[in-house]
Parts: sequence; structure tokens; C-alpha cells
Amino acid sequence: MALPLESPPAIEVLFFGGRDPSPGPNRPKEWSRNLSCERWDAVAGSHRYPGEIKPPPPRGGYVERFTMVCREPMLRPGLRSPLDGALLGALQTSTVALVDAAASLRPDLAGSTWLVEVFVPSPPVAAKLAFATKNALMGRGLSVSDRTPLLAAGDVEVLTRMPPDEAYPAACARYFATGSLSNSDALLAVVSRDPRETIVHAGICVAGTWTWLR
Amino acid sequence: MMALLAFASLEGWAADTLRDVQQAELDRVRAGVADQVHLAAFDLVDELVFGWTNAPVFETPTPVVLAGVTVPVGLGTGIAAMVENHLAAVLAKNPTTNLTLVHCPQCSAVVVHAGPEATIVSRGIDDPATLAALGGATGQHALFVDVEAEGAWLVLRARLTRLTPELPIVWSHTLATSASAPALLRASDDLKSASAARQEYLDALRGRGLVAVPLRVAIRSYDSPEDDQGVPPPPFLWLESGVELSPTDARAWTSSLMVGYSFIPQAYQGLMGQARISRLVTGRSRSLTRPDLYAFFGGAVITVWGPATASFQKPLLNADELLLAADLEGPRTAFGAMQFGLDLRLGNRIGVSVCLENLPDFANSRNMGEYLRILGIGFQSLGTEVTFWF
Repeated sequence: MALPLESPPAIEVLFFGGRDPSPGPNRPKEWSRNLSCERWDAVAGSHRYPGEIKPPPPRGGYVERFTMVCREPMLRPGLRSPLDGALLGALQTSTVALVDAAASLRPDLAGSTWLVEVFVPSPPVAAKLAFATKNALMGRGLSVSDRTPLLAAGDVEVLTRMPPDEAYPAACARYFATGSLSNSDALLAVVSRDPRETIVHAGICVAGTWTWLR
Repeated sequence: MMALLAFASLEGWAADTLRDVQQAELDRVRAGVADQVHLAAFDLVDELVFGWTNAPVFETPTPVVLAGVTVPVGLGTGIAAMVENHLAAVLAKNPTTNLTLVHCPQCSAVVVHAGPEATIVSRGIDDPATLAALGGATGQHALFVDVEAEGAWLVLRARLTRLTPELPIVWSHTLATSASAPALLRASDDLKSASAARQEYLDALRGRGLVAVPLRVAIRSYDSPEDDQGVPPPPFLWLESGVELSPTDARAWTSSLMVGYSFIPQAYQGLMGQARISRLVTGRSRSLTRPDLYAFFGGAVITVWGPATASFQKPLLNADELLLAADLEGPRTAFGAMQFGLDLRLGNRIGVSVCLENLPDFANSRNMGEYLRILGIGFQSLGTEVTFWF
């Protein structure tokens, strides 16, 4: 029986910065690790980067060619805390993934008005997470409000003394009980449960019932 | 004890100084990064406003409060002010967006509303009911803009919220540009899409066409013989023109065909035909913004006559022979030359070049020396040229 023979793919590197992105004598490993690289095949790459990546020959090639497209980060490492950097570095993808999960889990909420609350240690990062999440919800064609659901000072006093697994369902119930959230509202809460985590969790509060998304 | 105290205070002073130095260095790095980021942020703002000019959110001019502009975490507030000012300036110059920025101090101020249910402390813009009580902008819209660096990408998010108690978001948009994409630097009063800007750039490149007409002033000087026995030719002043061809708009390769004329009264006259091939060595296409350096190779056929051209004719001349040659026409001679050189051009409009010429006919001439000898090839002539392209 003849075994299928697959030639190894040829990989070239396209680096927007002028230098070889691989570690070397004058290229520290940290610098290489901070690069953002993506792999493109010849067809898609030549459409995305015309003139930079050669299209495949009209009659095909003997080897399958890939191109690694690498870019330096917009901000140098060290300008912000590692947690902030990790959360903000994947802001778009993480918020879109959260919204996709929410919309998939509760398709019945398509007609609701969505509100967003974010609970992470850094207020500026919380604001950016909220902004990105609202835009991702709008991008799915959902109705979104900038309104912030409110709790009384006494509620906050009690909730902050509870463990997270109990606090969020309790807060959800209080939002509904006090009328801050109505039956037509859906609250998407983005939560950092541990400052050592570089991902965020999310839950939905609908009609006083809390559901963890992830 | 005193020594210990002095040592402790010295250590504290050193630590403070180190922190100051670190802080200063961090501030310097932040300023450098902000310099690079703000152009990309301006580009995104331009794209945002350009989108509004093409597809306005509102059908009629609508008052909008600029509720907030936030910039990448880690950068200072200075860049926020720059982005905010740029957004306001671009909006003011593009009224077709139907967004009219209005001043609303109550909107961004912290307001306190104490009612029977609760006491609420918030920005005015987050509490439209209180804003209405203060005579603020109820029923208007608030614009929020956020710029954030996400890996290699700079992402701009914008949303418009109607300032009614339910605060519905009526429009949102997300734009991104990468660290490797150069800013388009669009004029505020003439916004255009990225594709249109690129087309404009290409049109500017093509504006010169594939054919250009150079006008060149060149001076050729000839090296003195090493033994000082002969008399080198005088420097020749050439006025040249012809045609320069490029196979592509990138002008990575060019070729030129030129004729030249040289005339100094009562000294010499000359005619020259010259062909050259040039290769761009700084990049793959010529630049509109920085000088381009070409390396060239070519050949020329030159004929000269006149009293001062006797040095081209005989291997060794003395003063009597030079005086005898100074008649009406003088000697006439023709010879070939090979040229190698570098050409520095600015915007393909003006250029300065230096070339070395090998004159095979005068390889053993005692009237000329060699400026340079490489791989057995001697260069007897050095030329400097200034060229204008039309």
C-alpha cells in the first residue's frame, strides 16, 4: 500500500518592522515573544497583503506555502500592569466571545434591553470592558442601554461581605426586587473573580435569576 | 549610631533618586509611545467622521455632547486631550455628519440627586432626570469615544446614547488599525476613504508618468598624471537632456538616453551620447516623502574638439604642441566611456549624482591619471551632476 506523501510546507516570514522576528544575538527572546504573529496561506495572504505575499502559481505549486505575518505591539511592555495588559490585549476577542456565548445561551432574550456591568479591579479597564461589550452587543443587533442598575447602600454593604458565588445571584435578585431591572431587561455582568486570572467570567441576570455563562 | 543614621538617610536618598529616574524614564517612554499612537488614533477618528459623512446617523443636524474620550491605559491624559480636540475640529469642518457638538458643563460634572428612594451620586450624563432638573441636555445625544491598544492593533470604539431616562444606545461602531499601517494624515476638511487616499497616492506617483525628461548639468574632471609629465584635459561642463523611461510606476529600475553639448569659448566644444540603467537601492519603490538613492551603470560616446582638447589626442604633450594646437578648430577626437555612480533624487524632481568614468582609450595615456582602480579597471574621470526632471 502506497503511503500518501505530503511535502513539508514552506514558511516565509513577513515582518512589519524590518527585522527578523526570530530570537537572535541582537533580538532578545522577550522581544520575539511580544510579537503578534498570524499564519496565512498563499491565497488568503495574497488577498490580504497584495504585493507583500506572492499569490500561488496559476497551476499550483510543488509545496504549500505559508506566511507568518508578525507585528510589534502598539504599546511597549511595561507601560501597564500585567493584568491590565492581558485583559486589554484581547479586549475585542474576549468581549465578542462573551456576547456570542450570551446570545447563544439565551436566544429568547433577543427582544430584551441589555445592560452591562463590569466588576474588575481597575476602573479604567472596567470602563473599557463595558464599552467593548456594549459595542459587541450592538454588533449583534441587540437593544442596549447605557443605564446602570442601582442598589441601595445597605444592599451593597451586605453583598460585599458575601462570597462571590452567593453575592452575584443575591445582587441579581435585589436588582429585580428593587425595580432597578425590569422583566424586559437583561444584565450581562463581566466579572474578574480572581486578580491572578487573565480571563474574565460573565453571567446573565434576568428576572432576578442569575446564570453563569463561563 | 550617627553613622548608621547617615547611612540610612543616604540609602533613602538614593532610593528616592532611583525612583525619580525610573519615573522620568517611564514618562519619556510614554511620551515616545504617545507620539506614535496619536497619529494612528487621529487616523481612526478621521475614518469615524468620514463614515458619518457618508452615512449620517441623524437625518438632520443634531446636538451631541462629547461625553468622553478615553485613550489606551498606560498613556497620559495629554493624548486624550489631543484626540478630543482633533475629533471636535474634524466634526466642525464636516457639517454633513449632522452631528453638532454642544457645550454641556452639567453633563460631565458630578451631580448629587437626593430623592425619597435614594441619594444618587453620578455624572450628569448618567442621570438624565437630574440633568433635566438642572436644565441640561435632555433629549440630546451623548458621544462616547474610546481608543485602546490591543496587541498590535489600535481599536477605536464609539457609541451614541440618547439622553433620556432609559439611556438607549442608538449607534455604535468599532474601527481598528494595525501598528504597521502608516497613518493616512488626511486633511480635516477633505476626508476620504482609505482606498481613495491610496488611489490619490498612486495617482501622485503616476502623475509623472513612465516617461520623464531630465535636464542635467554635469562637470567632468580628469585626473592629473602621476608623474606630472603630461597635461590633463580641463574640466568639461556638459548640458545634457533626453528621455528617461521606467517599466513600472515604482521606478525601481529606470533607463535613460541623453545627448549632451559642451562649449567653452576659445577652449573646447563637445557632443556626447549617453545611455544609463539605474537601480533603486533604498526600497522597492520610489518614495514621495524621502530621498531615493539609485546606483547606475552606463556608457557614453564623446567627441570633443577645440584648442583645449589636445590632451585627449596624444599620449604626451609639451607646451609647444599645445600652443600649436590652439588654432581655429584644434584637434578633434572621439572616445568611449563606461560610467558607474550613485544618484540621490528628491521626489524624482531634482537629483545630485556622482560618477566615475573609465576611458578605455586613455588607459595608458600619460596625460591622465586614475582617481581609482578597482579590479584592474582604472577610472580616469570623476563627474558630478545636478539633474532636474520635467
